Amino acid sequence: MRHFSSFLFFLLLFPVLGQAQECALSISGTVMDEGTGIPMSYGTVYVEEMKNGVASDSLGNFRLTGLCKGAYHLRFNHIGCETKTLFLSLTRDTVIRINMHHHSELVDEVMVHEHHSQHETAASSTINQDAISEVANKDLSEMLEQMTGVSSIKSGAGISKPVVHGLSGNRVAILNNGIAQSGQQWGNDHAPEIDPYVAEHISVVKGAGALAYPGGSLGGVVLIEPDEIENDPHLHGNVNYIFQTNGLGHTLNARLQKYDKWAAWRVSATAKVIGDRSAPSYLLTNTGKREYNVAAQLEKQLNPHWEMKLYYSLFNTEIGILRGSHIGNLTDLQEAIEREVPFFTEDEFSYTINEPRQAVQHHLLKLESRHVFNEHQSLAVTYGGQVNNRKEFDVRRSDRSDLPALSLLQWDQYLESVYKHFFEHGRQLKTGVQLRMTDNTNDPETGILPLIPDHRSYRLGAFAIYQQEKDRLLYELGARYDLTHFQVVTISSSIPREIERFYHTFNNYSLSGGVRYRVLPQLKLNLNVGHVLRSPEVNEMYSAGLHQGVSGIEEGNRQLRSEQATKAVLSADVQLRQKLFLQLLGYFQYVNNFIYLQPEDEFRLTIRGAFPLFTYQQTNATLAGLDALVSYEPIESIRLVAKYSFLRGDDISNGQPLVYMPSNNLSGSVSYAFKDGEKLKNTAVSVNGRYVFKQTHLNADQDLAPVPEGYFLLGASIGTTFKLKNTKLRLSVAGENLLNSRYRDYMNRQRYFADDLGWNVSTRLNFEF
Amino acid sequence: MKYTKNILWALPLFTVLLFTACEKDDPEIPNEEELITTLIYTLTPDGGGTPIEFRFTDLDGDGGNDPVITTGTLAANTSYTGVITLLNETESPADVISDEVAEEADEHQFFFQVSGANVTVAYADADGNGNPIGIESTVSAGDASTGTLTITLRHEPNKSGDGVAAGDITNAGGETDIEVTFQVVIQ
Repeated sequence: MRHFSSFLFFLLLFPVLGQAQECALSISGTVMDEGTGIPMSYGTVYVEEMKNGVASDSLGNFRLTGLCKGAYHLRFNHIGCETKTLFLSLTRDTVIRINMHHHSELVDEVMVHEHHSQHETAASSTINQDAISEVANKDLSEMLEQMTGVSSIKSGAGISKPVVHGLSGNRVAILNNGIAQSGQQWGNDHAPEIDPYVAEHISVVKGAGALAYPGGSLGGVVLIEPDEIENDPHLHGNVNYIFQTNGLGHTLNARLQKYDKWAAWRVSATAKVIGDRSAPSYLLTNTGKREYNVAAQLEKQLNPHWEMKLYYSLFNTEIGILRGSHIGNLTDLQEAIEREVPFFTEDEFSYTINEPRQAVQHHLLKLESRHVFNEHQSLAVTYGGQVNNRKEFDVRRSDRSDLPALSLLQWDQYLESVYKHFFEHGRQLKTGVQLRMTDNTNDPETGILPLIPDHRSYRLGAFAIYQQEKDRLLYELGARYDLTHFQVVTISSSIPREIERFYHTFNNYSLSGGVRYRVLPQLKLNLNVGHVLRSPEVNEMYSAGLHQGVSGIEEGNRQLRSEQATKAVLSADVQLRQKLFLQLLGYFQYVNNFIYLQPEDEFRLTIRGAFPLFTYQQTNATLAGLDALVSYEPIESIRLVAKYSFLRGDDISNGQPLVYMPSNNLSGSVSYAFKDGEKLKNTAVSVNGRYVFKQTHLNADQDLAPVPEGYFLLGASIGTTFKLKNTKLRLSVAGENLLNSRYRDYMNRQRYFADDLGWNVSTRLNFEF
Repeated sequence: MKYTKNILWALPLFTVLLFTACEKDDPEIPNEEELITTLIYTLTPDGGGTPIEFRFTDLDGDGGNDPVITTGTLAANTSYTGVITLLNETESPADVISDEVAEEADEHQFFFQVSGANVTVAYADADGNGNPIGIESTVSAGDASTGTLTITLRHEPNKSGDGVAAGDITNAGGETDIEVTFQVVIQ
């Protein structure tokens, strides 16, 4: 939809007839909502070269006159929208149509924009580029935590995975640039290999049945979307540097882009070096991190009907894992839980990363061809190739620490073809076919039997989504089919070691429907219901071995069947003038055959002692929750925001709570924006607080240690932008956990061993030209 | 247009290719050279006689079959010289892992915890810093009794911790490489 409208925009860029004299040229046009096509009144159009602008009228029309021949940079603003820039080489009177990407909430540097995408019935939340680069020293998942209903499951300071409405891992698809992220996504201690700097938007679709994306997303879909390169022949760029006090970390990113005659291009490079982090009262030894990423994007409009895009990214990371969290058996774990300060804690800060550590490399190559036949039909064919190399190093005897204890190489090939047809009267059909092949191989260099076996998977998916918009009503119906075939090659756990082959085939379907109804101009209701089937993954069927982090032996279950989930999401958005915005979202999900790890009564005796045994089992589960957001501006420069997330997960067959469900949490912020001055713009201060409740919906015997208490974290930030000619320099300072509170979070697996992070101040410089 | 048609044709072809693609190769079975399958605690009576052997064997590692544990009977009021041998019996001939432990003596220590039986175990060896290792030990059996003996091997313990050199595991820390428990009978 979005690309299609951009294309329309290109078509309309063709100048209209008319002879013009010098400096009597005009640019006129209409500002429209990208999703609905409804004209947007009272937006502003600013011409940088003239330092002047006009506003669009009540019908979204605007007209700039008295322009000379030459190059112009135009900037379009509308309340609740992202700023859009456009380059124009003006030779005669020109008519343009501008499509604005709409957010229901106002743009603010460190605010997250909770919004309903205007052209879908599923609820989603988005963070934009400004907000991303403000906190880009953090992991992707930590950024998403700012959204209601989204949290993280962590393994210490450097490893986090997103949890959407209580579900994570295999149940949340992460799409990087439209390609489902491959890699070892099954592991709770395997963070997604994505550099947030490449994204223009990061969105989370919370509804079930985001059917256009590869199957099995019971929880939600995380979208990392780079922007199209702006049509501007001048070289533009951005350098962003962040220094953080906790871990004495440096994060540097540089981005360059240009719309050259031969093609439009953009490159981005990131380096991150962080040392040992600290908890309020001690250092967290060996929790440093290194990250080096590059990405390149190339776009070429071959003719008015055909566009090609090429994208490549390399993600490279090395992450230290708290030395004191590396344990040998259950006795060690009990001892670690009782210790005040983790074992192996050093007094000296260091950037060195020792064992245990992870080293991961991820390549993504994407080639997209988009063909627009006419203003109704378009076809996009996309290829995505990924290579993921993950090595995990443990503390081992006799210099074997240099040998990885886990070494996996994964290849992933993806081919997709999507056809869109726009009919009359706001009806549209989107349909597609997707093929995916994944090959996963263990490197025997480890000298250890692999935790998950070598395997290949073949997936075929097809979907169709029909949408119609009429007056104040938008409805959507969709269906999807997925065929999954696994080839698994195992090494037996008994002696003599034997190689066995197993095959599994799953046929899954998904259905979804949604309605959006604008009851009043101030009130919008969304209902989305989806029924999704997810086939079990190889780790759930074939895991075999010791999971050291949790001191348990995990065993897969080859009899697992597909999970069947039904989720309903109902949300209401209330917007009262520009002062009050309220969003309430309630959801309920029922999962039949929910796959989970069941602790068995027996202990497995090994030479390292007795270990609890966990097996993958299926049960019926429910997840119900509420996300609330309210934003209020009593006067123009002051804004109050409050957010609340509530979730309850239950295993209804066994009559007990589900484990590892995020705690309920409440957060709030107050911000004050100063009036823009001559030189200083966008100056604002804010104070924020976050209270995470204790997870009380859990039985005492469901965890090895007592559940951590609730905690409160205080933060604050200040920032301003200096404008110098055509460049901008932004300086901002943000503090986290300013009270240096000692706390442990239920969702962080490091909580058995150490306190969470102490206070941190990040200073950020951003230079844009 | 022609181009797109070609792609459309390629799609089913690609599908067929994908689903009939050749089988995944056999994995190479890793050489588990670090694995400890066997612990043997050999007790030789000081006055001579047949050595007694405590043996814990788990040939297939963490999973698979249960380990096999054999114990011996100690004579009352007798002293023994104890030697621990660690083996990897998946190799042929078996790898002697206790040699690796001896090479990294300062990073390893065995601990002997007795419960119920009238037995005391004392260290009879030392690393380069004069701290005990526990590969060699002396065992004194008292009056007839029964109980258990737990042998623990810690990697990277804090050897200077309180009581650690005397064999108290409480402040040792580090991580456990071995923890096996034997029934002990003194007659």
